[in-house]
Amino acid sequence: MSAAKNLGPKVGEMVERFELVKAWLVDPVSGREGPGEIVVTDGVLDSVVWLEGPEAEGVTDRGVIVAPGFFDLHAHFREPGFEDAETVATGAAAAAHGGYTTVALMPNTQPALDEPGILARVRLAAAASGSPVEILAYGAVSAGRAGEQLSAMGELADAGVIGYSDDGSPVKTPKLLRSALLYAGMLGLPIVEHAEDLELTAGSESHEGYVASVMGLAGWPTAGEVSAVSRDLAVLADALGDEPRARLHLTHLSTAPALDLVRRARAAGLPVTCDVTPHHLAFTDEWIAGARRWAWEALAEDGTSRDPWIDGALTAGPYDTSLRVNPPLSTADDAAACLAALLDGTASAVVTDHAPHTIVDKEVEFGKAANGISGIETALGVLLSLVDAGKLPLARAIAALTTGPTAVMVAAGHVPGSAAARPRGLEEGVPADLVIFDRSGRWRVSSESLLSKGKNSPLIGRELPGRVLLTIAAGRLAYEDPQADLG
Amino acid sequence: MTTGSAVPGAPAAGWHHRHLIDLDVVTWPEMELIMQTTAQMKGVLARPIRKVPALNGRRVTTLFYEASTRTRVSFETAARNLSADVVSISTGTSSVTKGESLVDTVRTLEALGAEILIMRHAVSGAPYLAAEVFGGHVLNGGDGWHAHPTQALLDLFTMREHVPGGDLHGRKVVIVGDILHSRVARSNIWSLTAAGADLWLCGPATLLRGFDRWAAQWSGGKVPGHGKFNVTSDINAALKDADVVMGLRIQRERMQGGLLPSLREYAARFQLDAERVSLAKPEAIVMHPGPMNEGVEIAPDIATSGRAVILDQVSNGVAVRMALLYLLAGSHDEAHTTEPGR
Repeated sequence: MSAAKNLGPKVGEMVERFELVKAWLVDPVSGREGPGEIVVTDGVLDSVVWLEGPEAEGVTDRGVIVAPGFFDLHAHFREPGFEDAETVATGAAAAAHGGYTTVALMPNTQPALDEPGILARVRLAAAASGSPVEILAYGAVSAGRAGEQLSAMGELADAGVIGYSDDGSPVKTPKLLRSALLYAGMLGLPIVEHAEDLELTAGSESHEGYVASVMGLAGWPTAGEVSAVSRDLAVLADALGDEPRARLHLTHLSTAPALDLVRRARAAGLPVTCDVTPHHLAFTDEWIAGARRWAWEALAEDGTSRDPWIDGALTAGPYDTSLRVNPPLSTADDAAACLAALLDGTASAVVTDHAPHTIVDKEVEFGKAANGISGIETALGVLLSLVDAGKLPLARAIAALTTGPTAVMVAAGHVPGSAAARPRGLEEGVPADLVIFDRSGRWRVSSESLLSKGKNSPLIGRELPGRVLLTIAAGRLAYEDPQADLG
Repeated sequence: MTTGSAVPGAPAAGWHHRHLIDLDVVTWPEMELIMQTTAQMKGVLARPIRKVPALNGRRVTTLFYEASTRTRVSFETAARNLSADVVSISTGTSSVTKGESLVDTVRTLEALGAEILIMRHAVSGAPYLAAEVFGGHVLNGGDGWHAHPTQALLDLFTMREHVPGGDLHGRKVVIVGDILHSRVARSNIWSLTAAGADLWLCGPATLLRGFDRWAAQWSGGKVPGHGKFNVTSDINAALKDADVVMGLRIQRERMQGGLLPSLREYAARFQLDAERVSLAKPEAIVMHPGPMNEGVEIAPDIATSGRAVILDQVSNGVAVRMALLYLLAGSHDEAHTTEPGR
């Protein structure tokens, strides 16, 4: 047993020998969790031992936890084009700090990732970073994400994209979406859709409702998401008649009726999956007025949202632009619907939609601020806050970050075990891919503690549980807490 | 209190806000203090020489990102009446047109010596951003759809002048027009529900969006210090037995946005004309924050009738703004630096 600070390797180097005795192991593939120990030898997870009886005594799920490395289906590392906001290297470092070992990047770079040359550039940046965090990428659905014609989809598939998305925007027209679903289905890949009805949301600043009314913010109606999801599901159902391999994944859903539509579509057998984000699970629009209580603390017993003015819950300044995000933060009841969808399997995964921005794009008037939250380092802490509040079982939280994303990729047509669909369990004899965190170890979110270039987090200044001590990706060191002592 | 003691040198007791951005954080006793101070300032305005040295040497800057003549002139007149040095920045002629950010502009104005920043901006919440980086006092001259606190306060003052007894408690106040886009309506909700008025908001459904929900949320009068209010598209029910009727400007852009069929149709259904206003109490007053579209939201004969107190609003606006400049300027010793913008 060695202390982490004595681990030896630098980031990117193979972990030759590492043992951890008496930790809480969570294996979402087998569904097993409990006391155990692990040994990593020459980068391979050599042994996983489950402890029982006296040996297991004193080991609880409140201490050091070992889980498979997390897989983020949705992040923005801004390269090429916006390297002042993030690079593949800084994004990978941030991901590893958040416990992630695999990240799928959205193609809304400049230029957009709509042909293999851009993908090659991203891969070069990943290789040059030295980080072992695995970088996957989506190709754009449309050339230049302009919504006019299809991107070089086949060439992108050959080059290894894991799906297609015009994220940041929806696929512009139902007609183009139908073609994209057919063509991508033929290639065995999904369309990952940012569901937004741009007609309804034009000029919108915040979820349409009580808080937006009081604050004089242009309302983003719930129908802005629901209408788009309806369109997408109708087009998918239609496309399946011609191409049974057409697959749709709806990302960052945020409202109860949109999740309900997906729930019913899945019950009816439509091949659609969806995900939710930590911020839509935990933050609400009342944060824009200055509240900072978690979404579940803002939920009244009758399932409606509490009133922050009545409760005197406004503790921070209003119009914090770090809260401006697309889709917008909604009410406590919508946040509860996101959680319910995660619990009943309507939503398969939690994704960060990590969207770093420069201070230039955020230190402006609320209505002029760029959309997005820097969230890849805080996702675990937010989910553990849900776990601590008794709203989400620990195993479900871990599954939403590991096997859940894998399940989305398998449902989308990826062969189990392939790069986008690794099983993400605690399997002996394969390259170690792990995160080790201290569930009760709190850390302060700050400009200094975030490794991302994007400091646009509404959690700045707040303490989160679940300090990540060590992340090992593909047998190599990805992140090590300099203060950690795993001895 | 006599007008002679209107402007003492010492900071006003009972005022502790460093900025005035919205009325949500201003308590009723504080609004009463503003009303009393305004009455004193009105006394100053009644003098042959309308100038007192209260803010002598203090530097007031107006920063207007939206076109406005009346509000800017009102603020600048107020500041000059208090002997302040006034600098006027209009964004059409400043480096804002060269792409300078609000934060940089505010920091620059502070470096140039600005102590009180009076700001108007088209984006809701913009003055909070200014207050975060400005070392002096921010006075909101209107931000987006969000707030126009000096307008609501001059409205309150004018209503109290005209309502018998000067107490709005239980008095029916009706605001008619484009509520959705109105910072005047939003700030008036905070002040009039604090005053205990029976507040009604009225307009076409497209221009009331979201306010039903707000009214329902407050229906129990559960927000500390604030009562409930009503929202309706029924103009007759709204106006019946009203003590105060306020029209809001209807903008032509609302037709392009698909929110109204035509100004003609708006006028036919919601214009404050003689017949509709006759539903109000005989002694009811008619108000408008200006600028008016006569013949659209208000009939010309109503706008110029004896009921109209629209010019009183304008002159009271100078007194209210003098009062606020005076109160803010005196608040620096106990500035609440821990509550930026609040």
